[in-house]
Amino acid sequence: MHSSRTRFYLDKQNAKFKGVCAGIADYTGIEVMWVRIATFLLLITGVGLPWVPIAYVLIAWMAPKKPIDLYVSEADAKFWQGVRSNPKRSATEVRSKFRDVDRRLADIETFYTSRNTSLAHEIDSLR
Amino acid sequence: MGSEIIVIPAIFLGMPWIIMHYLTKWKQAPKITQEDENLLDEMYNLARRLEERMITVERIVAADHPDFKPGLAAPQPDWQQSVPARAGYSPDRRN
Repeated sequence: MHSSRTRFYLDKQNAKFKGVCAGIADYTGIEVMWVRIATFLLLITGVGLPWVPIAYVLIAWMAPKKPIDLYVSEADAKFWQGVRSNPKRSATEVRSKFRDVDRRLADIETFYTSRNTSLAHEIDSLR
Repeated sequence: MGSEIIVIPAIFLGMPWIIMHYLTKWKQAPKITQEDENLLDEMYNLARRLEERMITVERIVAADHPDFKPGLAAPQPDWQQSVPARAGYSPDRRN
């Protein structure tokens, strides 16, 4: 049984402090540097002053850590990022992959069936 | 002096606006259930394995029959379309 890949995790592997920014970056697929810069800007300009630190502490306290074996590969992580932002599109991608395989298999099938008929024709002509 | 007129509204109005915009977008985004997630995971892995097998099979067939060109009837990916006159040369027949 896998742990869910559509929920938010603290990314301790790429963390600078608590892994909240790295977690947001991992969840959304935004570059972690931009998340940190945005957080920093919100802090120093005072725009998000009471809320950003409160949210940060709450997230750091409540969100679970990301399991190390959550994704097998980089492509896997990318795919699930896509699922989180738009599951419908990901499902369509998977379907198009199946269709692609189906088409290529049909090509091979056609190749073999047509080839065998021409071979049979040649054998017939030899008689 | 004059730049404050632009910078201060940009920070105090623009940035919260952008954040709220993406927050509402995120909340409106469709969510999937755990069963859907497991199903999608299985389908995704299945598709990936099938594709790998397909590549292997195509390679075996192409090695046995030099006149076989995979994906003849198929719409070609961009990197193949850029190759002019596929008659003599096809990149997918290289080893």
